[in-house]
Amino acid sequence: MSKEGNNLSEVDILEAPNILEYPYSRSTGPVIGEFMTKLRDGKIVGARTKSGKVIVPPTEYDPFTSEDIDGLVPVSTSGVITSWAWVVSPSEKHPLSEPFAWALIKLDGADSSMLHCVRAPSSTSVATGKRVKAKFRSQREGHIKDIEFFEIEEAANG
Amino acid sequence: MGAQRCAVIGIGQTKYNSVRDDVSIAGLCREAAIRALEDAQLGWSDIEAVVIGKAPDMFEGVVMPESYLTDALGASGKPIIRVHTAGSVGGSTALVAASLVQSGVHSRVLTVAFEKQSESDAMWALSRPIPFSPPTLAGAGGYFAPLIRAYIRRSGAPSHIGMKVAVKDRLNALKNPYAHLHLDDISMEKVEESPMLWDPIRYLETCPSSDGACAMVLGDEKIASASGKPPAWIHGSAMRSEPTMFAGRDAVNPRAGQDCAKDLYSQAGITNPRKQIDMAEIYVPFSWYEPMWMENLGFAELGQGWKMTDEGATSLDGDLPVNCSGGVLSSNPIGASGMIRFAESALQVRGMAGEHQVQDCNLALGHAYGGGSQYFSMWLVGSKKPN
Repeated sequence: MSKEGNNLSEVDILEAPNILEYPYSRSTGPVIGEFMTKLRDGKIVGARTKSGKVIVPPTEYDPFTSEDIDGLVPVSTSGVITSWAWVVSPSEKHPLSEPFAWALIKLDGADSSMLHCVRAPSSTSVATGKRVKAKFRSQREGHIKDIEFFEIEEAANG
Repeated sequence: MGAQRCAVIGIGQTKYNSVRDDVSIAGLCREAAIRALEDAQLGWSDIEAVVIGKAPDMFEGVVMPESYLTDALGASGKPIIRVHTAGSVGGSTALVAASLVQSGVHSRVLTVAFEKQSESDAMWALSRPIPFSPPTLAGAGGYFAPLIRAYIRRSGAPSHIGMKVAVKDRLNALKNPYAHLHLDDISMEKVEESPMLWDPIRYLETCPSSDGACAMVLGDEKIASASGKPPAWIHGSAMRSEPTMFAGRDAVNPRAGQDCAKDLYSQAGITNPRKQIDMAEIYVPFSWYEPMWMENLGFAELGQGWKMTDEGATSLDGDLPVNCSGGVLSSNPIGASGMIRFAESALQVRGMAGEHQVQDCNLALGHAYGGGSQYFSMWLVGSKKPN
């Protein structure tokens, strides 16, 4: 390199911030929209496919055949755990601050399982096949977080 | 080995509207796709691959729409591809779908393009500042107005040409039930009285902001020949692009557009496009782009394109009807707009364009452009099988 040139380490590299922000909106449509609205009412609905299966949360179409769904049907706010994983150290972003389980929950009346969190005293109280019930918040706005968590149903009830 | 023959065998459109808040994006796409499948007399399971297109991600804030739409478009367990070429994307998406048939890989392909402008702000997405780059700022109109002024200066076109295009396309839209704008009282006076947005572009000389989706089913020769309805055979297809800025670039009459048309015509044996092509559905988001593209596409000599508009040659009853659907000036779901042009050209050669049908339409051009007049995609479709 000639004496007149700059060493790359001496080059002044330009930097500028580039912040992109825009508030998008989303239309939920008649299926997801109704699911959200019913959550606000403390209820859960599923999509009934033409073959009679009930999908929860509802999809706008049969996920297996892509055909339109037949309609929406109410399902229970209780069901069974079909799979789960224990979160030992929840982070700030997690829905619960105490250790909890992520679980796939098949609600009574549904043919598919829905992901949500389960509050339990310890991992030993969680098991596949255990019955759980949704605990709704008192203030609801039409959001999946209107269900605060699922909790293990008392043995006497289950 | 040359390309296999390919034809459009099904077309589906949504009604274009400013706000479709009654459906999700997936629901909107399904509406068009289901109509295309019904037109093709096929079901979801008959489709072998899906090719989708939409405007740049920032327009709606949907990143990787191909993942989101896989189940909704019956593509689980099948190949699904997303195409991305700015405003020309609807055209390029159809061409990529066609290439899957022309290559002999698939025999039935579904292609869908969409946009929900109501869920975002395209003006913002087009105007964002990028460090160390010259800003375009005022959205598409601000970018294209100086190019239109340059065209007017070069060609000496009289000032009413733009207004004439605006009226003609809106009159055509009245014959198209899917068109967004149905302006019953459109007139030269109305256009002239409308506010000047970006001189010389008036409010009524610009495209609307629309929600909507368009879909087509493409089939190979065997499928198309057995189809119950007339197919639209692909006679040629071409894509070209060039950078937004480079020394010596002519952004008014871009080289990429000229080269794209030349390639297209040579594939179909076209030596006199104005004589041999029966109608053209081209991407005209601002009225003056009709005469500009007439020249870029070789329908008119340089500086003479505006005379076609002025003489009525581009009207529905002219010798080269242009934008019989009402064009982008009447419906503009950006991501779908290119495909709507391609679909309209196919409807015309199938004889299925309804009230805006051109008589004896045997060969039609579908055209789309995007970015800063830098991405081009075109096809020629015909009522007869290509040689």
